[in-house]
Amino acid sequence: MRRIAAQARKELTQLLRDRLGLALALVLPVALTALMGTSVSLTVTDIPMVIQDLDQTPLSRRYADAFRTSLTFRVVTLPPATSPERMLNRGRARAALVIPEHFERDLRRGRPAEAQLLVDATDSNTAQLTRGNAAQISRAFAQQVTGSRATPAIQTATRLWFNPGREPRKFYGPGFLVLTLSIFPTVLSALAMSREGEQKTILQVYVSSISAHEFLLGKILAGMVIGLTQCLLAVGLMLTLFGLRFAGDPTPFVAASALFVFCVVSFGSLVGAAIPNQAAAVQAVGLGGFLLAFLLSGLIFPIENIPAALRWISSFVQARYYVLVVRDAFLQGGGWAATWWAVLAIGAIGLAYYTLAWRSLRRMQVKA
Amino acid sequence: MGALFGGRFWALALKELRQIGRDRRLTISLIVPPTLQILLFGFALDSSVKDLRLAIVDESRTAESRELISVLTQNPTFRLAGAYATSDALGEALGRGRLDVGVVVPYDFARLRARGRPATVQVLLNASNANTAQIAQGYVEGAVAFLNRDLHRSRAAPVELRPAFLYNPGLVNAWFIVTGVFGTLIILNGSLVSAATMIREKERGTVEQLLMTPASALEVVTAKLVPLFVLLMAMVGLVLVVGRLVFDVPFRGSPALVLAACACCVLTGIGLGTFISTFARSANQTQLISFFVNPPLAMLSGGLTPIEAMPKWVQPLTLLNPIAHFTAIARAVLVKGAGLDVVYPNLLALVALASLFVGVSAWRFRRQLS
Repeated sequence: MRRIAAQARKELTQLLRDRLGLALALVLPVALTALMGTSVSLTVTDIPMVIQDLDQTPLSRRYADAFRTSLTFRVVTLPPATSPERMLNRGRARAALVIPEHFERDLRRGRPAEAQLLVDATDSNTAQLTRGNAAQISRAFAQQVTGSRATPAIQTATRLWFNPGREPRKFYGPGFLVLTLSIFPTVLSALAMSREGEQKTILQVYVSSISAHEFLLGKILAGMVIGLTQCLLAVGLMLTLFGLRFAGDPTPFVAASALFVFCVVSFGSLVGAAIPNQAAAVQAVGLGGFLLAFLLSGLIFPIENIPAALRWISSFVQARYYVLVVRDAFLQGGGWAATWWAVLAIGAIGLAYYTLAWRSLRRMQVKA
Repeated sequence: MGALFGGRFWALALKELRQIGRDRRLTISLIVPPTLQILLFGFALDSSVKDLRLAIVDESRTAESRELISVLTQNPTFRLAGAYATSDALGEALGRGRLDVGVVVPYDFARLRARGRPATVQVLLNASNANTAQIAQGYVEGAVAFLNRDLHRSRAAPVELRPAFLYNPGLVNAWFIVTGVFGTLIILNGSLVSAATMIREKERGTVEQLLMTPASALEVVTAKLVPLFVLLMAMVGLVLVVGRLVFDVPFRGSPALVLAACACCVLTGIGLGTFISTFARSANQTQLISFFVNPPLAMLSGGLTPIEAMPKWVQPLTLLNPIAHFTAIARAVLVKGAGLDVVYPNLLALVALASLFVGVSAWRFRRQLS
């Protein structure tokens, strides 16, 4: 036990003396979480839109005004002698509303009036949102015009749970907390381990009385101290900048965080022990830690959308389970009942990485 | 210029090419990671909202309520994930993350409808993901409006909005992602590879040998840049082929324009890598510094998420991001078939950024040589 603590203290001292390492450990994770968590969002507001009103009647102008007053659209003036398609092609507008002639006449006569909406679908998600919003505005307008006579037979009372303001940052903030914790503790521990191999200091370790388990645990303990500090800082960000609160019992989150940091630090040590070259080890972590966590954990886009041929890989990605626990802790508040299996899965993956790291550490001796 | 591309330059360029050719890891790192990344990103990142788990509490149990439910689940957006006896049970399942949407049909649904009074259906949405929630809400309300219109055919004349999706009528999300990741790939791999080749001379102390040759500093720098440029352009070609063959990304505009933008982007990547390498002392430091630079560049490029959705203060910053300009060009030219008259502001910005990065890094590299 004393040897583990001594090993951990040595690691921490070594890190504190390295300016670049310290920046990587404390400044960058917080800055990245703050920047990306607030910047990444899929819900566009202020979609630039042009309106071509071929009817030019009071009613068609009222219809156009319904779009002008919406928060989703920003109506751009259509220059004379320019077709709406041209504006879309030039990227000046993302959507175009064409109100045909006889719009008012049709409406007054009780015939369905048609309007055309052209949507730039280069970004398919924004295109879908645009269609949904435009349809909503049209429905509201139609109800207003004809409304006094008929209330719809079926009404919906929609309640938005867990994130009533539909704020994207409340969803992406916890996601980037996970991404940050997948990158930085992993990189630091991979560096610390591969340095021993690169500079052959591992030989000194072998001649000392410390055992492989003690050595590895010492390294992991130091990594966990850093990782949990980062986690604490990131949670601070969640509670302030992202306006989140613990929605329910925070104990699953605490347990999962400790296990997750153990897991990624073990993974980092495994990479470091397997690749005794710092540059290559960082690259491997970049590919393995960052890319897998980014792509296969449901961080930005849902896992269900990944084709089945690739989706099974995500079962082995610890970040996937941690994302679930973190979002549950901050948004849904399902507690242990909802997340116990995810916490267990993180622990199991961590144990597997630890065993592998221990085995490749013993092989390092042969190589060195 | 004639003097620059004289015999000495070719000798040095040949030396660089041979050195790169013998470095198997470098060649592999120009082929394997970009291909893998474009495949992974294209397949794994899909923002489309479909197969949301919808559950119902049908307190009415009548033909009318079943009609409503079938209208809701006809859509590929929702998939029926079960029925619950009470709305409390539904709420609990929603809280545990087993559901995305819950619909509660009240017990007097059919009776109210028969009497011609409005019936209210409660819709519970897990809104933690704002995007999914917004699209799901749009669909539920759209489906209900559709049903209402059927019921009211005789009475109300609604406004019918006919949407038409231009450029990507099938709403293929991969087109957005592949064109978005393209620029990130060029900058990321370009800067990593060029930083690695630049730092090698420094690490191994062979800079001395370069200085002993009669070549001028300018010749040394250009001889280093040109082979890298050729290799990275080959990588660009590879990525384009994968995008075309695997993801069916359309090539509607002029290929020359795309290649020109790619060339600028490659140069920016080389410049960035060289710039990083002049600050670092060793190869692993270049790797670490690129950790500071690359993720923000990639995420704030509009490649994966729309720039318009970013906070107002971040949006002007993307004007300084070469990936953002490249992505704009790639999307406009490849998917929309736009010409130079549309993308010239982005292309000019890209040219400016490329010359800035290459210029500054070449200047710093030369200063280090002498």
